[in-house]
Order: sequence, then structure tokens, then C-alpha cells
Amino acid sequence: MSDRRIFVDYIARTEGDGAIDIVIGPNGEIKKARWEVWEPPRFFEAFLVGRKYDEIPEMVQRICGICPHGHHLAAVRAVERAMGVKVSRQTTLLRELLHYGDWIQSHTLHVYCLAAPDYLGYESVLAMAGNEELLPVVKQALSLKRLGNDMSVLIQGNEIQNRTSVVGGFTAVPSGSELRKIKERLKEAKDFAVATVRLGAKVASQDPYPQLVRKCEHVSLREEGKYPINGGRLVSTEGLNVPDWEYPEWLIEKHVPGCNCKHAIVKGRDSFLVGPLARVNNNFDLLSKDAQAIAKEVGFTVPDFNPFHSIIARGIELVHAIDTAMELIDELGDPVYEEPKYEIKAGEGYAVTEAARGICCHGGRIDKDGVCQKWDIVAPTSRNVYNLEKDFEYFVPKLLNLSDEELTLKCEMMIRNYDPCQSCATHSIKVNLRREA
Amino acid sequence: MAKPKIAFFKFSSCAGCQLNVLNLEPILLDIVGAVDIRYFVMAKRENFEGPYDIGFVEGAVTSPRELMELKKIREECSILVAQGACACHGGIPSVKNFSGMTQKEMEQRVYTELWDLKSFPAQAIDYYVKVDAYLKGCPMDKDEFVTLVTSALKGINPLFRYHSVCNECKLKENNCLVLTKGKACMGSVTAAGCGAQCPSLGRPCEGCRGPASDCNAASLAKTFIDLGLSRDDVVRKFRKYAGNTPEFSKGAEAV
Ligand code: SF4
Ligand code: SF4
Repeated sequence: MSDRRIFVDYIARTEGDGAIDIVIGPNGEIKKARWEVWEPPRFFEAFLVGRKYDEIPEMVQRICGICPHGHHLAAVRAVERAMGVKVSRQTTLLRELLHYGDWIQSHTLHVYCLAAPDYLGYESVLAMAGNEELLPVVKQALSLKRLGNDMSVLIQGNEIQNRTSVVGGFTAVPSGSELRKIKERLKEAKDFAVATVRLGAKVASQDPYPQLVRKCEHVSLREEGKYPINGGRLVSTEGLNVPDWEYPEWLIEKHVPGCNCKHAIVKGRDSFLVGPLARVNNNFDLLSKDAQAIAKEVGFTVPDFNPFHSIIARGIELVHAIDTAMELIDELGDPVYEEPKYEIKAGEGYAVTEAARGICCHGGRIDKDGVCQKWDIVAPTSRNVYNLEKDFEYFVPKLLNLSDEELTLKCEMMIRNYDPCQSCATHSIKVNLRREA
Repeated sequence: MAKPKIAFFKFSSCAGCQLNVLNLEPILLDIVGAVDIRYFVMAKRENFEGPYDIGFVEGAVTSPRELMELKKIREECSILVAQGACACHGGIPSVKNFSGMTQKEMEQRVYTELWDLKSFPAQAIDYYVKVDAYLKGCPMDKDEFVTLVTSALKGINPLFRYHSVCNECKLKENNCLVLTKGKACMGSVTAAGCGAQCPSLGRPCEGCRGPASDCNAASLAKTFIDLGLSRDDVVRKFRKYAGNTPEFSKGAEAV
């Protein structure tokens, strides 16, 4: 008797290198459900020891080119906590605006370039562009993605790796007139973001996605009075509610043989999900008015435990990001250059940000000369790996009547729901599906 | 002429350089239309075996598996391009080479169970195979990528010139960060091409594009000491994005 095996080496349209390996027994039971990350580890936690405090944010943003801002800002804040550095209101606002720009870039990339081709039956966004009806949508998506990137270029000098944001503030700030030009473009982009929510809701309502619901713990940040992005308390749908710096105590991990990343659980409980769906579930009341309105219009209600609805959550957050970015620009007015000022001090500090794909945790110890003695990093994708394997175990038995080809695609989609970055996770995607006859 | 067959590969890296290809939004569809993308796992589900006309490799080589793949990729690609600091010089992954820890000690620090982690010092891809062109920087410069692709389409040499970042700073009429602010800027030893991106924004160059031609890193290392940096600080400056290179090694070893 042979097992049915779904095996995909190199999972397309995710970032980094990994594989899916699923073995289904003769009675449809799942014998193995593994997401294997092939990315070789790069040992950031080891080589940061002995580096200077100001190099930590510079280096950790190179963990992941898809969410460098999340890593960078978490590390900056952790260093600032360790050394007792206070930053100005302007710096806090600019950091938020910078990170919202990244969400706009990343969510647009994911919805249109990585996820939509699955739902619409194309192998890639480039193939979608070959369809005359879809070409205008692809073009609009690319221009919204560009807008997110232009926000990064304006604030940090580069789309990906930041050149200006440092411990204590910024080495240069954008002018008010440049910010207001961005605001005009955000205003124009809003309708397309709203249309993105409708598109997400429409494609995710196709069979079999509405049936694929699995309740699990959703973890995110939550801040008083505003939607979380660069800080807040760590909360969950199961009642977790602790300061973000306590993350090492509550979100713990085990190393799993056969996989280069670490599997995460909430202390005393089980695997959990991080990312836009968790954020929207835990913070719906804090979304911008229009983001809440469009969510209601498409019938999205919280808590929502359907991971295929992540595409809708990303759309909702796009609307929210655009609204909030415009408010931030208003409040920033005409930024003035402030020299970053602080004293190097020994200390320990931890901080969490919401990278586009979920909570990103950094922290450690710095000695009196500003040299790093210990650094801990937990990237969002490594939080999600274990939870995704549980999705496989729960959803694959519901999809056994599909052909291997179809089932493989569905498994890939289960991974892409998490918008994983596997460089992040190791600090992959191959599907390998086998069923017994 | 048939459209050139293009492939993108990734080793130990952050994927930022590949993303920077997708960051060409306004001209992305034009570029894609001018070439035949045969392999690009991050962007496409349908990918094809070689041979390819141009292969872009992102990332440093840090494992036996990557080394095996790199050798195969070299055979399959007529033109092999190192894309970004990691592939050109080892980049940030190469910082571990100088951590003073053995590979085993590093693994123990990051992972509690050491099953089959196989990792060795991070190297640029030209440590192992012949490389035909370099797209320097962390991340690689998008405009240089476009120049390289259009040059290949025309069958001409892209002619990148690696004088120092200082030259670009002068063209932008920036005040020198070393002379006016006493900051430890790597611009005088670093290859130009980024438009002096960091110094133009008040941030010292960290050397992400690797050594400029004919640079004098030893002399800059001594200047850094005069500016008040400790010996360890100077070593850290030169052992960051291109610590493997003989040029930057001279800086690290000069103090
Ligand atoms: S060169 Fe920089 S941006 Fe490119 S892959 Fe390496 S770390 Fe990422
Ligand atoms: S100024 Fe230096 S560190 Fe900055 S982008 Fe250019 S080469 Fe890289």
C-alpha cells in the first residue's frame, strides 16, 4: 500500500527557500505534515555579540529584505530601552509613517503579486498582466506598491535598507512639501485599496475556502487608542495581555529536528497565528473608520479564524494604512532636523513591532561601552510555522477528493496565507504530498 | 534576436535584492517584456530548467548544498551576475566569519539541538566560480540592474566604474562628514554607484558596496583612530559588508 505524498520543493511566490512535505495514509489520516525551511541559518544572534549597539539595527534589517523595517524598528527600540534613550514625538511619528509605507508596499505585493494569481488561476502576476482585462489592475497595484516604496525612499533614503533611521532618531528628515506630495498620492490611491478589500472578499468566498476555518490563538500587539504598528502590549484571542518586553517569557519556542527554524507556542498553551488577520481580530475597533466600514460592507466579522481570509485582512489594513499615513503627515507638518542625542549606557531591553506579516521581536543586553553581549531575535514567520503545520493536519483531510495537482496548490496557498519570509524564519517552499492508496 | 533567458537564484541572504527587481514598478512590465524570465521562484510558480543566458545570484555561499547548486548554476548560465553585497563580497552573512567564535559555538548559541546544521564561513560567489558581472550594494542598485540588462540586450559592456563614493559626494556638493563632523565615513575606500546615498542623508557610508578601485584602507583605518575610534571599532568597520576582501582586510589589520 502506498502513501499519497504531496511534495513541493521550492514554494513559489514566497520569499526564501523551503518545501512542503505531506504524507496521507490509506484512511485519509495525515501521517506527516511538514513545512521544511531550507534556508541555511545565518547566525545573527551569534555574530551580533561583540558588535556595537548602533550596528544592531543596521544589521538586523538584513535578516529579511521583505520586512526590514519591522526588524530595524524593533531593534532600535530595544537598544533605546536598554540604554534609556528617549525620542521625540516627531521621531515616533516618522517611524510610524515609515512602517506604514512598508505595510503598503508589502501588502500590495502580497495581495496582487503573490496571492491573487492563485485565486484567479495564474502562475504569476506577470502572467496576469498578459490578460487585457487584468492589466489595468496589475498596473494600479504596481503603482500602489510604488507609493509604499516612495514613502520609504523619502524617509529612509532607500526602498529596502534604511540609511537614515538610527538610535535616537534620524540623520535626515523629509521636508513638509515632499510629505504633502505623498499625501496627495495616498488620497488618490484610496479607492484602489477599498477595491482590494472587495476583491479579497470575492475570491476568498469561492469554494472550498469558506469551509476552511480553524480556531487557534491569534497573537498581536494592541496599543491604547491607536492601531498597533511599532509597539503596544502583547495580546491574544485567548486573553494574553502582557507588556511587549515580556515576550521572551510568554512566547516560547522549541527547535524541531529536520527544520532550521524554531517552533513557537504560547506558554502553557499551543501554536498560534501572527499577522494581519490576528491584528485585525484583536484591534478591529482601532482601525480607521473607512477600514471598518469596508470590512462591514464585505461581511467580514471578528474574530475570524479562516486563514484564507488573510487576503481580506491585508486589504482592510491597506485602507487603514492609507488613512493613518495621511493623518501622520498632517500631524508631522514641516519636520525639522533634530540631532540624535543620548549617552551610551549598559542595560537590557526588549521590544516588539508589527511587521507586515506579524510580530517581530528583538532584544538583548548591551555593556557600558555599547557593545552587544546578547541578542535575541524572533521573526514573524518562525512564529507561524508550527501553526501552519496544524492547518495542514486539519485542512488536508477535508480536501482529499481533489487531484494531487489541485491539493498541492491548496497546500501552497495555505503557506502563502501567512505571507512567509523564510529568510526570516531561519534566521521554504517545496510541497511534497503523498497519499496511501 | 530571441529574448534572453533570465534566471534568479537565492543563497544565504535577505531576498532584498530580488525584491528590488520587483521594486522597478514603473518599468517592471517593460523589462519583463524584453526578456524571458525562466526561473524566479519568488515571483512565479512556473519555473524551468536551464540553460539560461543570464543568471542573477543573490546571497553568500554558506552551506554544502548551496555550493553544489552554485556550481550547477555556473554551468547553466552564459553570463553569471553576482547580485548584491552578499553575493559580491559575502555581505552581512560574512560578519560571522570574524566573530571570533567557531562554527560550533555559534550554532550552540542559536540552536539548542544540533541535528544536521551544516554551515561554513560565508563567501562571495566568486570565491568558488567565475563571475561575469557584479551588482554591488546592499541592496543592489536598481538602476545598475537596468543598465546591466539593457547592455546585455545590446550586447555591450555595462561599464560600471568603481571610483570612490567621495567622488559622488563631491558631485552632490555635500559637506564631507569626516572633515566637517569628524564622523567615521567609509566613503573614501568604497566603490561608487549608489550616488553617495548615505552621506547625502547625514549618515556615514558603511561600505556596503565593497572596496573602490585602488583604495587605501590602511590609511583610512589610521584616520579613524585619529578621530577617536577604538581599535575594535575600526576592525568592526572593515569587517562588515566586505570583510572577506583583501582590500578591507588591510584596513582591519592596519590597527
Ligand atoms: S545584499 Fe543586502 S539587500 Fe541584498 S540580499 Fe544581501 S543583505 Fe539583502
Ligand atoms: S553610501 Fe556607502 S553604505 Fe551607503 S549605500 Fe553607498 S556604499 Fe552603501
